[in-house]
Amino acid sequence: MKIYTGTGDRGKTSLFSGQRISKAEARIEAYGDMDELNSIIGALVASLGPEHSGPVEELQQIQTDLFTIGALLATTPDSPAMDAIAGIAQQHIEFLETSIDRMEEALPELKSFILPGGHPTAAWAHMARTVCRRTERRIVRFLDASLKVQAPDSYQFVLIYINRLSDYLFVVARYCNYLFDAPEKLWQK
Amino acid sequence: MRVRSSVKTKAENYSAELIERRWLSNKSFEITLTKPKSFEYLPGQWIRLIHHTVERDYSLVSSPTDPDFALCIRNIEGGILSPGLSNAPVGSCFNFNGPHGYFTFRPSTRPAVFVATGTGLAPFVSMARSGVTGFILLHGVRSAEDLYYASVLKTAAKQYVPCISETERSSGEYFQGRVSDYLQENLAPGPYDFYLCGRREMIREVTFLVDEKFSESLIFTEVFY
Repeated sequence: MKIYTGTGDRGKTSLFSGQRISKAEARIEAYGDMDELNSIIGALVASLGPEHSGPVEELQQIQTDLFTIGALLATTPDSPAMDAIAGIAQQHIEFLETSIDRMEEALPELKSFILPGGHPTAAWAHMARTVCRRTERRIVRFLDASLKVQAPDSYQFVLIYINRLSDYLFVVARYCNYLFDAPEKLWQK
Repeated sequence: MRVRSSVKTKAENYSAELIERRWLSNKSFEITLTKPKSFEYLPGQWIRLIHHTVERDYSLVSSPTDPDFALCIRNIEGGILSPGLSNAPVGSCFNFNGPHGYFTFRPSTRPAVFVATGTGLAPFVSMARSGVTGFILLHGVRSAEDLYYASVLKTAAKQYVPCISETERSSGEYFQGRVSDYLQENLAPGPYDFYLCGRREMIREVTFLVDEKFSESLIFTEVFY
């Protein structure tokens, strides 16, 4: 497979549904941030290493889901190309919620704000969390600007998934500190 | 015939036996292989063919309803796999993985314009063999002997335009020039669904032309080489 075609050399790009649009459009900002989020999760996976196969496999499943969301954002809702995309559904959200609940059982109760950081893996998870929040803002901005009616179900689940993912990444950050015995630094007024 | 465009096909590993090789020109040939029972694909998809330690991607040229499946291959001198495929004996076994790709036909109200260079024609032949009709097809080749599959395409297409880039005797039968020249000079303004398959340079040129002259159109691409 060739990596480059040069068709984006003049500031436009092609959507999966075939339209040619400016790279400055809100849609591109949204899935560009999604790509950034996925890459930071990749850095987190790399820093965890294969010895932590449980969290690694879970994070890699999330990376796969983010590819699906990227494809959804690169496709207009009325396009037949939508049929080729697996989509995001309730089960993907439940996957995140179940994992959050499982990790929280192992963690001490949180009574104060904590400073983002600690072990390097936790720091990556906090980076991913903040980029996830930005991605969510970009997706909402794009949907608000482009859809005259309520977003179709495929996008509704994306919004829920991304919102839940930043909660998940916050808990992953705490869980990484727990895994590596790094103390959580509490916020002091 | 209704053309399936929305079936989700999952890539798997298979093996197949070479049944037949048919030369299409002095450089290109079609090979037919046995189709494994559970192997399903859509017109426009491709497979990764594996022989010993070598692998290459080829678009399927057959219809999914055919009893076997076929690939269109250009024999590249010094190539990694094509010389071996050009003389492998009937009965040879090949492993492959597939199907892959999203370059499938999506019916719409806009006219479809298929643009191919060389063996980039393969996905369009598969579509035509599967019942897609009424499209405009441009096939860019160096010389007239490379205009394989002309009869099946002439039957299915609303307009079949062979474009010959090498200067040779002008018979009036062919457009003399590149596919992008033809589109620039002859395609009426309007929105279209463009399907581009073949050389990177063609895809780049035609995409820019569409941006300039047919900006309300959709473009789907598959880069071959």
